[in-house]
This record gives sequence, structure tokens and C-alpha cells, in this order.
Amino acid sequence: MTPLAQSRVGRSRKARNFAAVAWMVGAVLVAFIPLLFIIVHVVQKGLGVVLRSFPHFLNDALPLITTNAGGGIRPAIMGTLLMTGAAAAMAIPLGVMGSIYLNEYGRDGRFARILRFFAEVMSGVPSIVMGLFIYTIYTLQKGWTGFGGSLALACLMLPIVIRSSEEMLRLVPNELRQASLALGCPQWRTILSVVMPAAAPGIISGSMLAIARAAGETAPLLFTIGIVSRTNFDLFHGPNTALSQQIYTNAFAGPFPGPQERAWGSALTLIAIVMLCSVVARVVAARFTKVQQS
Amino acid sequence: MQNLPATHRLTGNRRPNRGDRAFRSVALACGLAVLIILGLIAFTSTNKAWPAFSKEGLGFVFSDNWAPNEKHFGALALVFGTILSAAIALLLAVPVSVGIALFVTEIAPPRVARIVTSVVDLLAAVPSVVYGLWAMLALAPNIVGLYTRIGSATKSIPILSAIFGGQAQGYSLTTASIVLAIMITPIITSLAREALATVPPSDKAGALALGATQWEAIRVAVFPKARGGLVAAVLLGLGRAMGETIAVAMVIGSSPQITSHIFSPSATLAGTVASQFGEASGTHRAALIGLGVVLFGITIVVNSAARMLVARADRALAA
Amino acid sequence: MINRIHASQIAKTAAGALVIALGLSACGSDGGTTTATTTANGSTSATTGTKLAAATLNASGSSFQMTLEQSALAAFTQANPSITINYAGGGSAKGKQDLADKVVDFAGTDSAVKPEDLGKFKGATLLYFPIAAAPIAVTYKLGGVAKLQLSAETVAGIFQGDIAKWDDAKIKADNPGVTMPSTNITIVHRSDGSGTTSNFTKFLVAAATNWKLDKGDTITWPKNSVGAEKNTGVASAVTQTDGAIGYVDFADAKKANLAMASIKNAAGEWSLPSLEGAAAALANVKVADDLTFTAANAAGPGVYPITAPTWVLVYAKQPDKAKGEAVKAYLNFLLTDGQTLAPTVNYAALPTDLAAKAKDQLSKLQIG
Repeated sequence: MTPLAQSRVGRSRKARNFAAVAWMVGAVLVAFIPLLFIIVHVVQKGLGVVLRSFPHFLNDALPLITTNAGGGIRPAIMGTLLMTGAAAAMAIPLGVMGSIYLNEYGRDGRFARILRFFAEVMSGVPSIVMGLFIYTIYTLQKGWTGFGGSLALACLMLPIVIRSSEEMLRLVPNELRQASLALGCPQWRTILSVVMPAAAPGIISGSMLAIARAAGETAPLLFTIGIVSRTNFDLFHGPNTALSQQIYTNAFAGPFPGPQERAWGSALTLIAIVMLCSVVARVVAARFTKVQQS
Repeated sequence: MQNLPATHRLTGNRRPNRGDRAFRSVALACGLAVLIILGLIAFTSTNKAWPAFSKEGLGFVFSDNWAPNEKHFGALALVFGTILSAAIALLLAVPVSVGIALFVTEIAPPRVARIVTSVVDLLAAVPSVVYGLWAMLALAPNIVGLYTRIGSATKSIPILSAIFGGQAQGYSLTTASIVLAIMITPIITSLAREALATVPPSDKAGALALGATQWEAIRVAVFPKARGGLVAAVLLGLGRAMGETIAVAMVIGSSPQITSHIFSPSATLAGTVASQFGEASGTHRAALIGLGVVLFGITIVVNSAARMLVARADRALAA
Repeated sequence: MINRIHASQIAKTAAGALVIALGLSACGSDGGTTTATTTANGSTSATTGTKLAAATLNASGSSFQMTLEQSALAAFTQANPSITINYAGGGSAKGKQDLADKVVDFAGTDSAVKPEDLGKFKGATLLYFPIAAAPIAVTYKLGGVAKLQLSAETVAGIFQGDIAKWDDAKIKADNPGVTMPSTNITIVHRSDGSGTTSNFTKFLVAAATNWKLDKGDTITWPKNSVGAEKNTGVASAVTQTDGAIGYVDFADAKKANLAMASIKNAAGEWSLPSLEGAAAALANVKVADDLTFTAANAAGPGVYPITAPTWVLVYAKQPDKAKGEAVKAYLNFLLTDGQTLAPTVNYAALPTDLAAKAKDQLSKLQIG
């Protein structure tokens, strides 16, 4: 406000303005303090566990007796990475190609609109529904497998990848496509060589966020993967475990220091992996925005 | 922005060559595959849940008798727990989220705004099981004292005593709502921020030039235009809160009941599915899948409402 | 143009780093898995002399027997490194359901399959192998009350919600001379289908005439009670709430240092949970042909009345040869070396004749 205007503002209006500003700043504090407190708590509890006789916690197998202390979470780390990786390998290509269809071919056609609606609806569905679906059609036939978990995670990632990729493709200026077509490039070459590289950072960023989300999920894995105490590299045979599942299981494993420490250590490790993916995603996206603005 | 035609129409009179046809088919096949997968999920869930639906009829949702050992599957208490826990979570989260969004878009210097935004976005990435772990091991044991104090402070006030009274538990509806509120704050904040950012700065500048205070300018120029987006943000937060399974299951006390005491244990649709599915069979299993379908339905309604509001707000803005 | 290259370069570098890290860490096996000692080998003479073919056994079920199960499989797999056993726990009801779904090779359970549920198994023959018994401790957290005595009727009254405060007359009657605080009672029970619940409620049906809530893996608990998953979840919930009372298996209760109540047994004595009390309860049990039995509220001196047996449940037909042999060897281990192991992890071994009967039942397994 200009000084001239300010001098004429009544006291009650000033007071309300102050209250509103206080609300906004207060909101930031009210949100940040507990949120950061939680993170600090997890780091504090987890770091001691992870660093104790490093790298044993990250490298050893899980103890065979859950309520005992000791052991490590390597099976869970490997499980999370393998299952999420397999899920990404299935969901990302399928989702990106689907979004290419939506944005480059279908646009506003009826089929495209139905597909878009389903993807939108599905991205809001509770993850446990995905888990139950895979349990019914896959786990009951093949038993507990890491691949069942991957399938459930892929179902979870698919709508997210489609929506974010479509968003990114839409942001690519049409002039690029027109120029390429005008120069005689067939449409498929245009999409692959012009549109995709332009949208790539955004698509990568969106995919990494989907991966981060999948890595942190517990519900889809509850009934599909069983549990193990030694690393199982075979996703198709035998049960597996994951960091999120270990956190969940150890949280219920009683008032004993062993499982509780394992839970905090797994939580810290999981947060580290998820944060890494998120940070990479945002760095890539930030560069992309700079490109858009240039 | 002009509405440019789809790419393929730009190709005009050119004959589509083999590469184009092949690529288009692949893309179409992927689109179809996705649709089939997603449709299959919806169809299989409803199909598997059918035995429970046909047995209980509307009583599935409207009768309060969840007793699997007696083969009764009335989920009203679960619906109650789901809605109430989400409502309390919204009550706690919305003022904070909108406040943060306003802070970032209206009054914060750009550097601070960027830091706050980045932190909020990173916090959205924390998995729900980690929040659940913290709530189970750190929050629930220590918050009973606060609940008991609130309970005794409001003992003699009629309505408040019905809400805050009863025997306070650490594993209770309110504890779950607190965790939910913490989890949905980043989501509502980032969506609200986007909604507020779409308002042209000239509107606000005009209000300020006419002598309004900051707050009045926001109220008069920003809120009306951003209202659709803000409500959509709240609705999406609601959808997320109702669908959250793991963190809620860990602290809500797993006791389906309809009660006004918010410091008592409760149960939600998603949480009950998580705790009971492993051991269920036959009608019980169908009933649990049915809970998933009910939740699915509620989420669709809420998300569609949010989408409609955003579309309407976009159209109003473009006009 | 330049910025775009940087963005994809960053992405590629990050992806590359992730892949390299994954590759490096994937090399080699888990640390800390080398067997610490080989002293166990000396005592595993009971296992088959021939080496077992490699097999992975998946199992789930009772959390009541989890401590014993995990200790046993640790010793067994150490002696037979080609076998891997994964015991997922999750409650007796889950174990029985997983076995019906054929997702597991055996189930731990503290309660028999109900007659109306037999259809799930599609007519296949099931074999119950009892492996141990243990007390179910009535644990509580109450400041200032170190010793607590509860008769069966009082326990029933508490757990069905009739008795709301710790200074209730009935509790005071059981504890003459003890000052009870007026704290509210918080009931903690199992939220998952539990054989422990089944055995606990069997005791109440047998011993308390005022118990109204029937028995079973799942019952309808009073309002405002807290449900927790698994025995360990109940133990956690009890430790965290002042005034809480819940039923937990003896091994977990002891390990968590929970206060346990003395229960009045059928002979009128106050009995603290103990392995001797459990053994006394097992002394005169009447065992059915399929080796199921109940030890609730057993008659006689020195008995701990809430003693619960626990079984391993398998299909008689084992189509996979390697898995079948592994199951047989493991069950044999449980019934021989496992019986010596049990008291060291707070479970009562079976009476010798019952263990012998169970070993005889091993011949009913049809392998291959």
C-alpha cells in the first residue's frame, strides 16, 4: 500500500490485516514444526541404528527371530529396489505410450476421453484395492512372489505416469510439431525425435515421482509377497520383503528394542531412497521449466 | 491459447506411411492395454464383492453390525469412522494448508517462498508407513495426557463433553486424524498454491491500488477467482484422507463403533480391509473387497466433484 | 537447447549412479548369515541322516507360537542349510486361510479348523501336529500394583466390559489388602483372528459362568476396547496405556517384562503363569484322535488354568517331494530337539506320550 493510502486505513482494517498475516505465518510454523519434528525424530532414531557398526545394518540379513535385536535389512532394501524397479519397467513404458496415444492421436476422441477418465479415477483409488486385485488374479495361482508385489505397484504407478506424462506432452509447443511435419518428417518420427526429447525431462521427473511413491507403498504388498529373512533375488519364485513391509511388521512386533530399532532404521533408509528420487525428479523438472521459459 | 487441432490432422493430405500406421497401432494398443487393466480392476473387485452385496443389500453400507464371526457385514460403523476421521483431519489441515499457500503466493519474498515450497513438496514424498510408525511409537503413547486434560476441562459443557468425553485412548480416532492431517497438508498446500497462482496479479494489484489492505485484496480479488481450485484442493485432500490405509490402521484402535467420543478407538473401511483380509474367506472376503469397492465409489465421487470444480474454475478464468 | 541437454544429462547420470549402486550392492550375499556356531549340529542327530534336497517352505499363522517357531527354524536351518523356512505369522486364522488357499506349506495354529470351514480345504485330509503349550498371561499396566489376583469371573467381567474401573468391588474382593487406584480399565484384545483369543475365551467359557461373549478366533468385543494385531501388538498396547489389561502369550509377556496376574485355577489356588503350571495343565489332557485337545481350566494342583496348546497344521498329501521331505524333517525336529528347545524360549514341552503319538502321526504324511 502506498503511504498515502496507508494513513487513511482504519484501525480495525489494519488489525484484520495483521491477523490474516499472522495466520499465514502461523500456518507455516504450525505445519513445519511438527513435520520437521517427525523427520528429525526418524533421523535421530534411525541414524544411530544405521551407523552402528556400519555397514552391518544395511548389509546383513534379517534376524530369524523377529523379537531379537541385531541383524540387518539388506533383504528389504534389495526387495524394495527390485520390486519397484520391475514395477517401473512395466508401468513407465506402458504409461508413456498410453499418454502418447492420448495426447498425439486421441486428443478429444471418445476412446481418449474414456481412457483419461479411468486414469484420473484410478489415481485416486486406495492402494490396497490394487493389492487385493493382484492377490485375487495372481497370488492365489502363483503363491507369494516378489513379482506379485511388482504387479500391484505397477497398477498403482500406471495412472500416475499416464497423467503426468500427458501433462508434459501437452506442454510441448505445437510449433515444434508443425515445424517438423512441415519439413517432411513422418508423424511417428516427429513424436520420437522432436516431441519426446522436448518432454523428456518432465516425463522423467513425473516417472521418478511415481517410483518414489511406489517405493514407499505398503498396502499393495501386504498380501502378495509374504516375508523372508534372506535376500531373494528371484522375483518370480518365493516370497520377498520390502522396506515398507519391514517397517509395518516391526511396528507390531512388540515393545522390544530389536524390532523397534529395525523399524526406525528401515524408515530412515526408505526416506533416503524416496527423497533421492524426489530430489532428482524436482531438479530435472526445474531445468525443464527453465527450458520452457527460455 | 488457441485450441490447435490434433497432430495427426496437421498431416493433411499426406498418405500415412507404414511407420505412422505401425506406431499409431502400438500407441493405441498401449492405450487399450491400460484401459483393459484399469477396467479389469474395477470389474473384478465388484464381481468378487457381489456375494456380500447381494447378501446384505443396502444394509451393507447402512447397518451397524460388523461381526464377521456371526456372518454379519454391516459397515456403517466403518463408513462413520472413515468419514469422521477424514473430516477432523480436514478441519486440522485446511486452515494450515491454505495459510501456507497464501503465505507462499502472497506475502513471502521469492526466496523464502521457494524454500517453503520445496520443503512442503519433499514432505509430501514421505511414505505413509513412516508417519504411521512415528504415530504408533511416539504420538499415541504420549498424547493420552492431552486428551484426558481436554476431556476433564470440558466435562461440564454439554455438547463438548459428548465429543471430548469418554475414556481417552492413545489409539483412537483423533490420533488417526492427526496423522492424516499431517499427511494431507502437503497435498492440499501444493494444489491450493497452484489455484492461487492462476489468479492474474493484475486483479490483486488493482485492489491494492484502490486502497485495500493485503488481506482485503486477497479476500476480494484472489479468493473469488481461486475458489474453485481451492475447493478442489480440499476435496482431493479429503479423498486422500479417506483412502489412507496403513497409517490409520496402525493407530486407530481397530474397534468399529459409532460414537461421539472422538478420543475413543474406531475403525475405517480401508484399515479394516488391511487387518482382516489375510484371514478372511468366502463371504467375509467378499465383504472386505466390497468395502474396497465402497471406498472406490466414494473416492470417484469426491475426485469427480473436484475435477468438475477445477474445470469450471478454468472456464471462468478463461472467459 | 543447451539447458535441455543438461537436464537429460543429469537424469542419465542419476540413473547411471543408481544402477551402479544397485549392481554393486547386489553382489555377494547377505552379511551376518554365516552360522555362528556349529555346536547345534551335535544335537541334531534326530534329523534324517541323509541330506535333504533344497527346498523353501513358506508358512504363516499363529503368533502365539512365533517365538518357538522362529527359534526352531533357526536351529533347523542352521543344521540343514539347504532348507529355507519363512514363517510369516499373522494369526491362526490367517494361517488356516493361507493353507486353504495353498499359499503356504504349513500353518501354525492354536485352534482347530471349525467344522463349517472344512469346506475351504476341499475334502483334503489335514494333520494336526501339537508342538508345545504355553500359558496365556493376563498382562496389565497399573502404577503401584505389583501383584494382582483375578478369579475367572472377574476376568470375564473385565473383558466383557462389566467392570470399568480398577477399584471395582469384585477386583478388590480378589485382592484383599491391596489399594487399587481408580483408573479406568482399558481392554486390549486382538484385532486379527487369533488362536490365542480362541483359547482365552475357551477358558472363560469353561471357568466363568458370567461370560457372555462366547468363544472363537474372533469375537465381538465391548465398545471402547482397543484392538491390536498379533500377540506382540497387544503387548505393545498394554505397555503404552496406564490401566490397560490384555492377554498375551507367556514368551512375549516375559520378554517384555509385563506384569502378569495370578489366576484362580479349578483347584482354588492362585496361579502365576509358569511353565510348571502349563506342564501340570497338560498332564491329564484328553487328546482326540486327530491330536487336538484343550487344556483350559484343567483340574488338579499347581495348574495354570489358561494354558493353550499350539499345533502345526499340514495337508496329509505332499505332492512336491523335496518340500514334503523338508516338512517331515522339520516336524520331526520340532517333536524331538524342538521339545528340548521349547523351555529355553518359555514354552512347555509336550508330555512324552503325546510327543510320541505326534511322531507316529508323521507316517501319515504321503510324500511325492
